Amino acid sequence: MKRRGFLKQSTFASGMFFVPQFLKAFENSSMKPFSNKKVVIIQLKGGNDGLNTVVPFNNDIYYQQRSNIAIKQNDLFKISDEVGLHKSLQPLQDLYNKGFVSIINNVGYPNPNLSHFRATDIWQTASDSNEYLQNGWVGRYLDYTKGNPYSAIEVDQSLSLMLKGKSQNGLAITDPKMFYDSMSAPFFNNVVTNYNDAHLSEHNLGYLYNTMIDAKSSAKHIYEQSNTKSTFAEYPKNIFGKQLKTISQFINSGLETQVYYAGLSGFDTHANQPGTQERLLKVYAESMEVFINDLQKNNAFEDVLILTFSEFGRRVKQNESKGTDHGTANNVFVMGKNLKKQGLYNNLPNLGNLDRNGNLKYEIDFREIYATILDKWLAVDDVAILNKSFSKLDFV
Amino acid sequence: MSRKKVIELSAAWFQRLNNPSEILREKMTLFWANHFVCENKNILYVQSYHNMLRKNALGNFRDFTKIVSKEPAMLAYLNNKQNKKKSPNENFARELMELFTLGQDQYTEHDIKESARSFTGYNHTYKGEFIFKEKQHDHNEKTFFGKSGNFNGDDIIDIILQKEQCARFISEKIYTYFVNENINKKHIDEMVAVFYKDYNIEKLMRFVLLSKWFYEDENIGTKIKSPIEFLVGINTVVPYKIEKTRQIILVQRLLGQILMNPPNVVGWKTGRNWIDSNTIVTRLRLPSVLLNNAEIAYSEIGDEETMITDFDKRKLRKNAFVKVSTDWNSFEENYKKNSNKELVHQIITSKINTGTKEMLERNQQLSKHDFVVQLMSLPEYQLC
Repeated sequence: MKRRGFLKQSTFASGMFFVPQFLKAFENSSMKPFSNKKVVIIQLKGGNDGLNTVVPFNNDIYYQQRSNIAIKQNDLFKISDEVGLHKSLQPLQDLYNKGFVSIINNVGYPNPNLSHFRATDIWQTASDSNEYLQNGWVGRYLDYTKGNPYSAIEVDQSLSLMLKGKSQNGLAITDPKMFYDSMSAPFFNNVVTNYNDAHLSEHNLGYLYNTMIDAKSSAKHIYEQSNTKSTFAEYPKNIFGKQLKTISQFINSGLETQVYYAGLSGFDTHANQPGTQERLLKVYAESMEVFINDLQKNNAFEDVLILTFSEFGRRVKQNESKGTDHGTANNVFVMGKNLKKQGLYNNLPNLGNLDRNGNLKYEIDFREIYATILDKWLAVDDVAILNKSFSKLDFV
Repeated sequence: MSRKKVIELSAAWFQRLNNPSEILREKMTLFWANHFVCENKNILYVQSYHNMLRKNALGNFRDFTKIVSKEPAMLAYLNNKQNKKKSPNENFARELMELFTLGQDQYTEHDIKESARSFTGYNHTYKGEFIFKEKQHDHNEKTFFGKSGNFNGDDIIDIILQKEQCARFISEKIYTYFVNENINKKHIDEMVAVFYKDYNIEKLMRFVLLSKWFYEDENIGTKIKSPIEFLVGINTVVPYKIEKTRQIILVQRLLGQILMNPPNVVGWKTGRNWIDSNTIVTRLRLPSVLLNNAEIAYSEIGDEETMITDFDKRKLRKNAFVKVSTDWNSFEENYKKNSNKELVHQIITSKINTGTKEMLERNQQLSKHDFVVQLMSLPEYQLC
């Protein structure tokens, strides 16, 4: 605090030029996070088969259409008289029973696109299906809140469109120490401290230097901050577990980051789906269980909302190779401590009323979920960020 | 098997970019690969598509577009082979106008429907030869951009190209790629006047490269290099070869551009989109990694295409020495007459931040090797 006060003082006293340039971007931006609420976004990449995840075990159409991949009743744990969850999600049962899970069914958008990349872009940018946006909805949240680069962190190698804004990008980090180390080379110090051409700021060269400066000051801050607390919880030893461990370390150490994004790949199950999906959902559920318990132990769960989505669901009718092809609407999982509506948020999709490709007709636009989170959870103007007005749901 | 071959072809393309027999044709091939964006897993189709791009890179845009529409890779990529009289698929019809010829908002949904009808029946054999399936083609009259007739796909492309907007759309894209991301309308008008006459790409490029404005200061050193331009650029100063195919792909992945693996149908987003906090750091480190055997650290992640079956075995964090052979002798030979001071302006075309300039002056006594690696590790080197 003292140092910041001093810097502000010196700024007023002697003009910007005496503040070391590499501290500028960092110290100038708003110090307080916009709110203390956090959102963790998880993508099940490849298009998870929602119908074999949240299973309508009394539905004849379901069993007719999926004669050799339908989930049998004793491979489920039942959450209602009609609905059961895949047995791999068992680790979430306790959390479900406590009311920490809300399942929103039949989420999609008009004129769905069945390409992974395009559908992912649509979910990430919150665009219409025939609209190509160059920035993501979280990126626009950063623009709106004038956030720091580390206000939104993707635990990945490179930054997704979701976290790219018009004037501010989030950060992609897999390992805070590695990120910090890689930027601690004396050479980078030289480059960064020598940057002093304020008039270049609009030029591409200014953009390059500023990105470097942002990265460097963020790396230092994140590393130092997250080092204050090391997590003792045992996470599953896989990539997804590692991602969640990193996120919990960030949250539990009080890092000001508001949005986290991570993903689990491999859900593109065109062939031999049952074994693959069983394994992947297990990885998902086991890690999530540890993650949520870890947050609870650190009294952080109250301020965290977790959203799990997949870029699309899969076709109702299975294909000839014991798999499923690209579909449309899907279920979305919301997890949090004080959910307004717990358990099943709405009814399961109507399997008797499909579009001409044999796909589900969506009921809830995915952007209604975003709008709800922005408005009710993060307390910002959702219309300004989504460029459109969507009705709100009441899960928070 | 096929997947492995595609990766090998991608690596071969990279080597060719580094040692081109015709520089402009290579540059244009890369340009068109990010215009007529396409991806496929079948090596036969990928190879056919790639060779087609190089062959037509400086040819006639009209012929080029028609050939693209009949390539097996494209027929699959934009679902035109699923486009049948009884169940039209509009994917190709839409992208043909939006991405390949006219740009957004230049047509109606009705035009897309009628265009899609005209392309029905397009298909290919297993070996990849184009076939037209009469029975799947919609032989009824279509009305497209106010014209009526029993059109086929080629007719649609002809009608689209009658619009001057097509010449303008392509000219703007070429200008953005070769000249400046900020469009100068006067320059574009001149280009359109040349290109609209007969859609001859070579003539257009000749006009651009010989125009006075191409060499004006405001158009030099302002563009952010694409990862491939960056990698090839280093090679023109100090020739190097990455020994392992896998590592060629790794380096491209870390920078955000894997040849033959575009992110989506719109292609790579260029300009400032190349740069985020990770890629800038990778770029500034890479000259040392490639030329000085430095280590590069990265952590492993899965992507949509890899079905990860055994999680436990995958290492979560990796350090790698990229195995590279460098040809410093060529560098010595090519630059033997130049002092370090002179090297600055040969390697860097953009203006230089004054603090960095002072740092370079202080470092004049460094060995020529170290000095050139330092030059290529600057933010300034990212611009061309």
